[in-house]
Amino acid sequence: MEETDSDPLNPTTSTPGTTPEFDPKTMRSSKPGLKRLLITTTVLFSFLSGLPFLWKSVEIYRSQLPFHDIDSLSDQIKSTPLRFPCTFHAVFVGFRSTHPDQLRSEIQDGVNRLTRRSSQCGSCNVSISVTVQNPDGHCSETLPSTCSYRCGVIKGDVFGAGLDDMVDESLDDVFSGCSGDGGEMYSVVVVNKEKEDEEVKAVVGKRRHAWIVGSGLEERYGDVVARVSEVFVKVFMNGGREDDSIHGEFMPVGSDGRLVLSFSLLNSDPRDWIYDWDFQRIDEGLLAPVTKALAPIADISVESQVLYHTPKSSFSSWDEKLQSYIFRTSDLPFFVNSNEWHLDTSAGASGRSKILQFVVYIPSGKECPLHLQLPNGEISKTNGFISPMWGGVIVWNPRNCVKDSESPSRNMISPQDLEKIVEVFLGQFRQLFGFKSEAIYTSELGSYKILPSERGFTEWELDVLSRKHTCFNLQSCSTTLGSLSRLVQSLPRMIIKDEIGEQVKYSLKAAKLAQSNASLGGYSSSASSSREARSLAENAFFHPSIMSVSYFSYEHCFAVYSPFFLPVAGHVVLAALREWKRYKQEKAKYLTWLTRKKTA
Amino acid sequence: MARTVLTWWIPLLILQSFLLAIAFGSNEVEEEFSESLLLKPLPDRKVLAHFHFENRAPPSNSHGRHHHLFPKAISQLVQKFRVKEMELSFTQGRWNHEHWGGSDTLSSMNAKPVGVELWAVFDVPRSEVDTSWKNLTHALSGLFCASINFLESSTSYAAPTWGFGRSSDKLRYGSLPREAVCTENLTPWLKLLPCRDKDGISALMNRPSVYRGFYHSQRLHLSMIDSGMLLEQSLTVVLQPDTVYDGKDLQPSWSLSSLFGRKVVGKCVLAKSSNVYLQMEGLAHPEAHTLLKNEEFELSIKPDRTLRETSSVLFIFDIDKSSDSEPFDLSLTWKLPSKWSCQQAPLHASRFLMGSGNERGAIAILLKATESQDKLSGKDITNGGRCRIKANVFQIFPWYVKVYYHTLQIFVDQQQNTSSEVLKKINVSPSADKMSSGMMEMMLELPCEVKSVAISIEYDKGFLHIDEYPPDANQGFDIPSALISFPDHHASLDFKEELSTLPLLSKFKDKSLVRSYTEVLLVPLTTPDFSMPYNVITITCTVFALYFGSLLNALRRRIGEEERFLKSKGKKTGGLKQLLSRFTAKIRGRPVESPSSEPTAAAQSSVLSSKLLFKIILVAGVAAAWQYFSTDK
Repeated sequence: MEETDSDPLNPTTSTPGTTPEFDPKTMRSSKPGLKRLLITTTVLFSFLSGLPFLWKSVEIYRSQLPFHDIDSLSDQIKSTPLRFPCTFHAVFVGFRSTHPDQLRSEIQDGVNRLTRRSSQCGSCNVSISVTVQNPDGHCSETLPSTCSYRCGVIKGDVFGAGLDDMVDESLDDVFSGCSGDGGEMYSVVVVNKEKEDEEVKAVVGKRRHAWIVGSGLEERYGDVVARVSEVFVKVFMNGGREDDSIHGEFMPVGSDGRLVLSFSLLNSDPRDWIYDWDFQRIDEGLLAPVTKALAPIADISVESQVLYHTPKSSFSSWDEKLQSYIFRTSDLPFFVNSNEWHLDTSAGASGRSKILQFVVYIPSGKECPLHLQLPNGEISKTNGFISPMWGGVIVWNPRNCVKDSESPSRNMISPQDLEKIVEVFLGQFRQLFGFKSEAIYTSELGSYKILPSERGFTEWELDVLSRKHTCFNLQSCSTTLGSLSRLVQSLPRMIIKDEIGEQVKYSLKAAKLAQSNASLGGYSSSASSSREARSLAENAFFHPSIMSVSYFSYEHCFAVYSPFFLPVAGHVVLAALREWKRYKQEKAKYLTWLTRKKTA
Repeated sequence: MARTVLTWWIPLLILQSFLLAIAFGSNEVEEEFSESLLLKPLPDRKVLAHFHFENRAPPSNSHGRHHHLFPKAISQLVQKFRVKEMELSFTQGRWNHEHWGGSDTLSSMNAKPVGVELWAVFDVPRSEVDTSWKNLTHALSGLFCASINFLESSTSYAAPTWGFGRSSDKLRYGSLPREAVCTENLTPWLKLLPCRDKDGISALMNRPSVYRGFYHSQRLHLSMIDSGMLLEQSLTVVLQPDTVYDGKDLQPSWSLSSLFGRKVVGKCVLAKSSNVYLQMEGLAHPEAHTLLKNEEFELSIKPDRTLRETSSVLFIFDIDKSSDSEPFDLSLTWKLPSKWSCQQAPLHASRFLMGSGNERGAIAILLKATESQDKLSGKDITNGGRCRIKANVFQIFPWYVKVYYHTLQIFVDQQQNTSSEVLKKINVSPSADKMSSGMMEMMLELPCEVKSVAISIEYDKGFLHIDEYPPDANQGFDIPSALISFPDHHASLDFKEELSTLPLLSKFKDKSLVRSYTEVLLVPLTTPDFSMPYNVITITCTVFALYFGSLLNALRRRIGEEERFLKSKGKKTGGLKQLLSRFTAKIRGRPVESPSSEPTAAAQSSVLSSKLLFKIILVAGVAAAWQYFSTDK
């Protein structure tokens, strides 16, 4: 208002002409007012000071994810493959002239040679100790001694006699006081017999022991050392598998660490015959030990059903020579009839758990007996096959293939047959986990007898599984967390709930725990905590709030706020600018007038 | 003496208990499956086919969780959610109570509301019932390929207390009237049968003929009984036989193959019993019909047994004997015109909407006396000597139908009645917005000679949040069927002969509550223009921006200076201004005003236009910058 008042004054002051040089276009006599400038700048500043509040109000909730920890975990897993401490203990009984330290270095060389190629994750950090017991019963051992092997417990003459199972048990007693410096201890006993002409026999037991018995071993000293190191590496370290055949992605365990074994008995045509089984007994008697043994690796549950009217979808042909219907290995991809075999519904399998289907297929009367012909023309002994990550199929032919007269009644599969079926199933199950089911392991240096366990998996096999599984779980956990962090960082406007943050935190914690357990040698504890880490990471990645597209994009924000803020901001900024410009201009005018007045 | 008796008794008792244990042990192990089909000609020239499958399993705690016939999926459901009893039905079409029967067992058990209906009783602590229900709906929706999971939200189910005919505080009830039922729901249902539709009676279920019918309802009823689990599956179809009208007013003749396009080639070998029943009502000479042929109709196959009931005759066929070469194809040929009527429920229920507009309305339930009432009323004479009909009404209201319970009015024979006279008991649980649905249970006691009863209740239509509208919001919203049940009336077939073990017949012999469902109502709600929120934002923001801008302009305007400025520029008139004034003159149809007459306006417009131009450029610049930065990211 000041200026509106003063402006009319301007001409009045100029026209009388106190100073004739006064030019109203370039000069003014009064001070320019600040009122409008103040108003516009306060509006502008209040506007600007409101911006942070607006920003706060449109901010979306993002839980802080430990990106740095995730990166360091994946770097760590990539750069240093997880290794477990394993202690190998070799006992040479009946050797006279050998020195334990020399033996150790030779075995170490052999182990190094064998592990050179395979330095993959989940293998062992080997520490070797050797005890030599000469025929007089005197011992010498490498230092530091890891095992309180009492000298003379193993008698060279009588060792190895009797059943292998008994020997295995006795060895377990011998080494019961032993424990490696972290990790499990595996032992190989080499017994050199005094008697002549005894064949060399190598056996791998159910626990963590193996023994080589024979005469004249001292003369073939180099050979024996090579075999000992081979047992350590190929059997105890790698589980008797060639070239790490099973990769992580083929580990048949769901990402939540659960595994459902679904058994189905398929009567392909109940009009011919109906067979039933007493699955309750199989479950309690034969499967429960297996599921218990595998508990650190997977949480296994068992379910069963009997289905009817389930023909296979491939064809079989009558073979005159074999007197049976045969299907070939080339038919196997078409054997499983997903239209008619309703295997898959399971309320027990929640979310991401894995289901392995085990199917016992009873052929109809039109194709009985049904046999699988191997590519070499022979008939398969197990009469079954596996499909990796899906499960296995066993074809079971009723005895004699005789049809029931008129109305079929319900027959029970006899317990003997059932046991056979379960044996085949266990073999398939082992195969799905990557193990062989042969009782003999053969290598270039000779063959080893492998004692089967009634639990399906021997202890050293379970150790291998735990190690591999831990490694795979940690890898998968780190890749999942890595992709989650990439996803989260690539979508800056995505809402991330606290739950996800917590799951990531706990997953990282479990992964750390698994790593530290692994370095301490707790195989099963590291396997279970790595399982937890993986399942938490998957839970975070597949959290429903991430799956939904409810993120608040910049475009959305802009579309909602621009109708108000753009025009208003235009007004305010322009007004402030103009006022400022005018103020400067007017001030310049006033100053020129002042200088003029002074000069005048 | 006493001692000797005692010493005698003890070994006997032990022996007896041992024998009993053996007997029970052997009884327990068996799982049983049975199948049956009931065929019934209906008075309106249609045929009803009712498939019934029963699957019994011994209790899992004694028998283990591995089953041989019982479907694994259902037993897992029971174990996981602790279901005590459950019924799930999928229905398409509406049961015609007048022509197809209203008070017999078949209609009271199998006449279901349109769409999906689910109720379940749980065996869990009361606080966990809702969680179990939610999990169960999800599991069932996966199992049956239906959107049963919509029953999960607390606005879509209710916990009836006594109006449903089953009183338990662990009962939950919900229905989805809009669910379309088709073959994708039937296939998983068939998967639960051991023979599926490969063999036995279920082989008749030819999809085109089943879904061509006037009514079909597939039902699954699961109950825990003393001897384990009982799973009943039934499919009720009303079909129209293809016949040429011959002018003689004969009932249409049909055969299984003409109805379904298939024949039964043998029983499901897993079934313990496999029977076909033919129920004939309203025969002129019931005694004569034991014969295969008579003057009224002719059957192609001789029935194995014939049962007589008070109003109907039941022929029983065993399909054991049929084979591939000799399929079971029952046919019925009428020779004389025949007319009969079905047993009616005491009152016929219908429901409709009143009022117009998108704001409020009223729901009316009309109960009309049927012909059968006279017959039935004789039974219901109470102590006071006055004949009374009891009727329970159970109704769920979605929360967006805001019912005013005080407006409840009951008209008996078109006379408004004070409630206490007729209304014996009422239980109302009001709905909470977006939280829970409302429920009303009423017990009416009506005089037997009543002609009609009308119940009306007013409501306001609520507004939904924009997210809550279904994809086709303009179609309207469904109010689930009301259930009218008559607690004093029980439907059962009363056979003169003693029945042994036929599962369907023993089921029919059990007394069941007479109940009928009303129509589904379609309420149109106000549906907004779904772009409205953005329009509102834009308009209000623009108004605010205008207000703000002009306020700011007014504050910093210098009127005197502008006037002087314009005066000095007044002589020069801009070309643009001249053009503009000419243009406006042309539009207005007036002669061109002299440009000098209003110089202020002219100057203002030129100033305005430059301002406008600047603004446009600014906005465009900001937009371009925005685009640049956003794409850069």
